[in-house]
Amino acid sequence: MKVASVLRLTAVVLLVLFIAMPQAFAFLFEPLTDNRAPAIYNQGSLLFLTLQHLRTVALATLASTVLAVALGIFVTRPSGAEFLPLSRSLVNIGQTFPPIAVLAIAVPLVGFGEKPTFIALFLYGLLPIFENTLTGLTQVSPQTLEAARGMGMNARQRLFQVELPLAFPVILAGIRLSVIISLGTATIGSTVAAKGLGEVIIAGLQSNNIAFVLQGGLVVALLAILIHDGLGLIERFAARKLGRSTDEVP
Amino acid sequence: MIEIDHLTKRYGATTVVDDVSFQVEEGTITVVVGTSGAGKSTLLRMINRLVEPTAGRVLIDGEDTRSIPEDELRHRIGYVIQGYGLFPHRTVAANIATVPRLLGWDRKKIAQRVEELLDLFQLDPAEFAQKFPHELSGGQQQRVGVARALAARPALLLMDEPFGALDAVIRSKAQDDLLAIQRRLGTTIVLVTHDMNEAFHLGDRIAVMDQARLLQHATPAELLMHPADEFVERLVGTAERPFRLLTLTKVQDALEPGSAEGEPITASESLHDALSRLMWSGRKALPVADASGAIIGKVSVGGILGHGRPLP
Amino acid sequence: MLPPRPAFSLDRLGSVIAILIGIALFAAPFATYRATRIASGEARLLIEALPISMGAVVAAVALGVAVGSVLVREPLGRLGLAVIGLAILLPSLGLSAGFLTPAGNSFARVSPSLGFWLLALSFSLLAIDAFARMKLDPYGRLAALAAGVSALAFLLVSGIWDDLSILKEYHTRADSFWREARQHLLLAFGSMAAACLVGIPLGIAGHRMRTLRTAVLQGLSIVQTIPSIALFGLLMAPLGAIAASVPLAAALGIRGIGATPAFIALFLYALLPIVANTIAGLNQVPAAVVDAARGMGMSARQRLMQIEMPLALPVILAGIRIVLVQNLGLATVAALIGGGGFGSFVFQGIGQTAIDLVLLGAIPTVGLSFAASIILDSLVDIAKGALA
Repeated sequence: MKVASVLRLTAVVLLVLFIAMPQAFAFLFEPLTDNRAPAIYNQGSLLFLTLQHLRTVALATLASTVLAVALGIFVTRPSGAEFLPLSRSLVNIGQTFPPIAVLAIAVPLVGFGEKPTFIALFLYGLLPIFENTLTGLTQVSPQTLEAARGMGMNARQRLFQVELPLAFPVILAGIRLSVIISLGTATIGSTVAAKGLGEVIIAGLQSNNIAFVLQGGLVVALLAILIHDGLGLIERFAARKLGRSTDEVP
Repeated sequence: MIEIDHLTKRYGATTVVDDVSFQVEEGTITVVVGTSGAGKSTLLRMINRLVEPTAGRVLIDGEDTRSIPEDELRHRIGYVIQGYGLFPHRTVAANIATVPRLLGWDRKKIAQRVEELLDLFQLDPAEFAQKFPHELSGGQQQRVGVARALAARPALLLMDEPFGALDAVIRSKAQDDLLAIQRRLGTTIVLVTHDMNEAFHLGDRIAVMDQARLLQHATPAELLMHPADEFVERLVGTAERPFRLLTLTKVQDALEPGSAEGEPITASESLHDALSRLMWSGRKALPVADASGAIIGKVSVGGILGHGRPLP
Repeated sequence: MLPPRPAFSLDRLGSVIAILIGIALFAAPFATYRATRIASGEARLLIEALPISMGAVVAAVALGVAVGSVLVREPLGRLGLAVIGLAILLPSLGLSAGFLTPAGNSFARVSPSLGFWLLALSFSLLAIDAFARMKLDPYGRLAALAAGVSALAFLLVSGIWDDLSILKEYHTRADSFWREARQHLLLAFGSMAAACLVGIPLGIAGHRMRTLRTAVLQGLSIVQTIPSIALFGLLMAPLGAIAASVPLAAALGIRGIGATPAFIALFLYALLPIVANTIAGLNQVPAAVVDAARGMGMSARQRLMQIEMPLALPVILAGIRIVLVQNLGLATVAALIGGGGFGSFVFQGIGQTAIDLVLLGAIPTVGLSFAASIILDSLVDIAKGALA
């Protein structure tokens, strides 16, 4: 575990340093450029792009979480039960849509820029959260629910005091998956002119500048790995708080 | 007093509970016994309205349970199920505090009550209060389940196979503990089981069910001596009958004047225990002592055997 | 006592579908007409989009399905409604295109609009719900898929749809369509096959060696976390360097851009599900079974091939399903680095704001993933059934 912490810390420090003052690392990327092309992305600030990227992902994830959890609760209540089989199938089918297709179809409808990216992130982010909300809520043991009912908890108390807390770690895992998918889709969002880190990679591809491609790829990859890791830590913490042995959370 | 009044439950064409009536006296244990699928659990769940009866009613101290809102009714009735249904995300203390919290007791009162119950169930509060259910053994989980059901001092406790998940050794200890606690608190209990030994061990009265109907509701002794029909007779176990009868009778009842050799047996022990001591030691009689240890007479093999059959 | 069950009740899902059909019929255009490929579209309502008699038939059938979906609860009945609805709706779209396109005009474009999509969605929802409730066995699902594919193939081959804009896009680039299709399948299936060749033995080894297992799974899950386009980018630099310094590699077609980095990235993404599921599959083989095999004198190799692998097969197949659906989708991104595949049309379409071109790339991708997921899910169930 010690090694992991050191690695984690090093990665964070390196990432922050690079985003804040990329020119200091120019010497690393110079060998990859030819014809005196710039070694460090110069058409915008990396810091700004990173924040923009994270903002899009955070807002979209927030919106998907609210809707997906609400829908997940709805179809597991008696009043929404008729929609349960259909919603399960729709989630399965939805996952066969590649995110890029959703992104591309949104462009003609709402134009270029942040909007199609946000829509794609939002729609695609719904699936894992909804699926995990369903799994989390339906795996609560019938005995536990029977006991809750037998002690006189009403439907609302059962939902908020028993079902949701027990489903929470699973829902968190869904959110983590959703965030990771969104980070990737937001990168592709740069092809439809959304501000984000994909811009660096796309610019590199267009101008044949491997240095741009590499630094963009590195920043995006590190960001994704660190966020994945960080959310995983939160999940384990939540599971521990909720009395689950930690080895149940991968 | 609980009055079960012509309770019936039908699901479509199948009748699960068919016109069952009996009464449960204050402070007693009634055991509902029968084969699986006999309708015992449904009967129990109609008492706290987890299942709504198709016909009939339940009166608690004369009050029709239908006149009480469901949740409020369940706050007043303790409920223990097989496997206990402990909340895995809550500590032992929080589990026990569930109903008091729902009732809005203040924190201090709840903490006090939790500690009191942990003590009562021989679980050291310092060690167990903050543990999670998955950190407990089966026997400990069972005790927490019962403690949780008793937290808001319900007058009535419903138990559905509460010992079903325990192994034999722990089970008989758990049954003894339950008896002791029931005698101390005076709680009225309705307990469902398929285990005849458990029924005879715990029940002040036993209700035998088969195929949705109540066949007999009687004291254990009556059940042994005057079974209502062949099914009850078979369920009671013909070969076991004399020994069950001896278990139900106290040494006190077979006391003879005179004295005998050997270590004295207490008057409140069962004739079953006395006979087993006599057989093991090879004696014909044992001295009997009262609670203070004073010898008050003797008990003999012949005297005991007379109690192993129905009185004429 | 329970209140008597109402003799007549509306189905909630059916009501939602009926409302969708109502909106589609009365509040949304059926088709979009554009004078040229890049002109802005003009909406055409159902009554304008079809000859009056045909339009009336479509409206009548759609209303019939709407009423039926509220009243009919049996899955088979619902499926029947959905099939009738689709059988009328899909050809009518082609007729509409022929009707709206002026004779001899090869510049005009007709594409489905919101109303059509809503109707198609409503009927599909009805069908999906029916299938979900029917709980077909795997052979039934495969048969249903085959029937759907045949119906679609008939519509495409018969020429009913030929006046639709998306098919006009197809006809102007039929050659490149099939070339990109081949490339797409090559990327997706080739990388999956490579991942199986490496991943299954790796999984078997990981099942036996704990340290290897943790290291491999952690490493692969980190790879899985990296967004596709970033991983492509990370692979470009080293591959470019290899191609520049090793002539043999360059001669073999290894390059910094193009299909090579895409293939390697897909392969790396595919490893985790295959390795993890191989390990999980082997782990769930009951210890008693392996013990019994040992007791009968089977060698380690015999136990693996005759007992453990067959029992782990459904779980491994489930991993392959994940990989295939994931690869078919990710392969679209390969076009960004010149790797080809259906993504080429998607990105070209984005560049030209030509939605038909986007759809020409997106629809086959989704169709392939959808078919792959049904086929592999069925195979998983068949494998499970064979063990039960």
